[in-house]
Amino acid sequence: MTDAPILLTTTVGSFGKPEYLQKARNQFAKGKISASELHELERKATTEWIRIQEEIGLDILVDGEMYRGDMVAYFADLLDGYKEGGLVRSYGNRYYHKPIIAGKISRPNPMTVDWFRYAQSLTDRPVKGMLTGPYTMLDWSFNEAYPTRRDAALALAEVIRQEAEDLEAAGAKYIQIDEPAIHARPEEIDIAIEAMGIVTQNLKAKTVSHICYGDFAAIYPRVLALPVDQLDLAMANYEYRWLDLFDKDPFTRELAIGIVDVHKHELESVDEAAEGIRKGLRYVSAERLYPHPDCGLKTRTVEETVAKCRVVVEAAKKVRAELRAKVPA
Amino acid sequence: MREVRSMKTTVIGAFPKISDEPGGQELRRALHRLDRGEIDAGALDAVVEQVTRSAIAELEAAGIDVINDGQIRWDDAFSPFARSWEGVSRGPLERFYDNNTYFRQPVIEGPIRTGGRTLVHDYEVARATASRPVKAAVCGPLTFATLTAEDRAYGSLEERTLAVADALADEIRGLGAAGATLVDVEEPALVALPQHVELAREAYLRLASAGVDLALQTYFFPADRILEFLASFPVAQVGIDVRSRDTTALRRLDAFRDKTLVLGVVDARNTRLESKAEVAALIEQALKLVPAERLWVAPTTGLEYLPHDVASKKLAVLVEASRAAVGVPA
Repeated sequence: MTDAPILLTTTVGSFGKPEYLQKARNQFAKGKISASELHELERKATTEWIRIQEEIGLDILVDGEMYRGDMVAYFADLLDGYKEGGLVRSYGNRYYHKPIIAGKISRPNPMTVDWFRYAQSLTDRPVKGMLTGPYTMLDWSFNEAYPTRRDAALALAEVIRQEAEDLEAAGAKYIQIDEPAIHARPEEIDIAIEAMGIVTQNLKAKTVSHICYGDFAAIYPRVLALPVDQLDLAMANYEYRWLDLFDKDPFTRELAIGIVDVHKHELESVDEAAEGIRKGLRYVSAERLYPHPDCGLKTRTVEETVAKCRVVVEAAKKVRAELRAKVPA
Repeated sequence: MREVRSMKTTVIGAFPKISDEPGGQELRRALHRLDRGEIDAGALDAVVEQVTRSAIAELEAAGIDVINDGQIRWDDAFSPFARSWEGVSRGPLERFYDNNTYFRQPVIEGPIRTGGRTLVHDYEVARATASRPVKAAVCGPLTFATLTAEDRAYGSLEERTLAVADALADEIRGLGAAGATLVDVEEPALVALPQHVELAREAYLRLASAGVDLALQTYFFPADRILEFLASFPVAQVGIDVRSRDTTALRRLDAFRDKTLVLGVVDARNTRLESKAEVAALIEQALKLVPAERLWVAPTTGLEYLPHDVASKKLAVLVEASRAAVGVPA
């Protein structure tokens, strides 16, 4: 029992794209390089990120999403029934193509399985399969085709289920189905739960869902009914205030706990991050607590990403040592 | 023709700042260049004003009767105020209600003070450009106060809301002095958190002390729970979304005896384009309870939640449907 792994470290999914890849994506958009040339560079960047994660000492890896622009449009582009939308502002001077559900949703081909296989072939450590959840796919799209939001969410759940099952068949031990929009309309959480149930119903892999931004308190404790094994929450950015909710209604899932803020350039100290883990340990046992950065790291530079992940790994080592010292020999 | 004059079309909130068309991304490019130090604030200003002029030209060409400046300079609902007010800074990013759109949460570091001229320059530019009436807009005091990340100056939500209202009243006074005769107060918090309706009314008494007609604009959520209560607010106009979600509001509009109603009749948060007939039907239903001279129609919220080309099409449907509803041939 004392050998059970504790405080396994991981990340939320996306990493910054190296400069050569950013340049290549721009050139591809302008028609100056071919799809296969871009693909080669995406594989190169993926390989680099797998090596970096191993070197840092993370336990559960990700492919880094070198081939994705954003977490909804990537899937929308590959699904039938979607059409590309025009530019909409997300904040400040950032814009994205908000996709449009224009017809019946179906999945002509697997969307992430080849990338999962490739990333997993590069390492002995587990690589997570990474998907966007049906409720978030709906909420971050325009829905022109389905009569209700529930109808659209359930149709999306069906294609995401197919993808998740293909990832499992390809060997994924962890499948993450992100729902950052789950609290956009707290009154609709039953739709998110129902849709997630369709995605995870047949899976034996460990399932994870990342939730960030928004008012987590508005969906707690109802969110504990989301049918996944592990909830993955931003905590550092919120000064761990969500943990207070667990005093009243005990947290019943595994917890991936965000211990470094990804939306600021400043680097947390190892001590500060370790304190975040200790806060989590008041509510969740070390076997069920997974330290990680608050959110995807794609808005950070490669250097900032590496530095933030190192802090996570060092903080976990420190707390692991403390816990082992307490166990009587 | 008189009937067309009596029921007006208008817009609320922000207009898309860029478009997918060639040449439609000048503001985005200018902001990037400012970040890289390639242009200065004066050069950015020139682009902001040029984009403002083209937004105004587009609203007028679409046939909108009462326009605004498109809020081209606004990063979010609070940015103009959080940038200019003493005692307030811009804090961490957070999602703006149920949108995949984010804003900087205000942080109140000390007592709020303003000279009341935050929006005056932009308003004057818009008025000088426009050939139609231009209304101004401020954020709602309850929305500001409930979305504040941190408050080191005021002891409670009540105190904070009223302090923000006092500062906004100064801004409204400044806009009035610059010639504004109508100011939108954009207040989604009132329908998101209807339990605060009495506090909000107290805040609006402070806004009304500025002596300029106000339009209380609610959006994102149905106003059903507080609809009749809104009739007691000291404002000239009340804006209600009757299109994007299920609501009983259309059957209860007779609660408003003297206010002008600004009904959101085209969905500004979905690309699906309404038909002229379905929008006209909404308007005709409203006209059974509200005389045309007290009815204005608008998109449900700011059009910036849509891509530019769809926003333009929504304006066209709005104008065509309003003409059809009052019997003017298209």
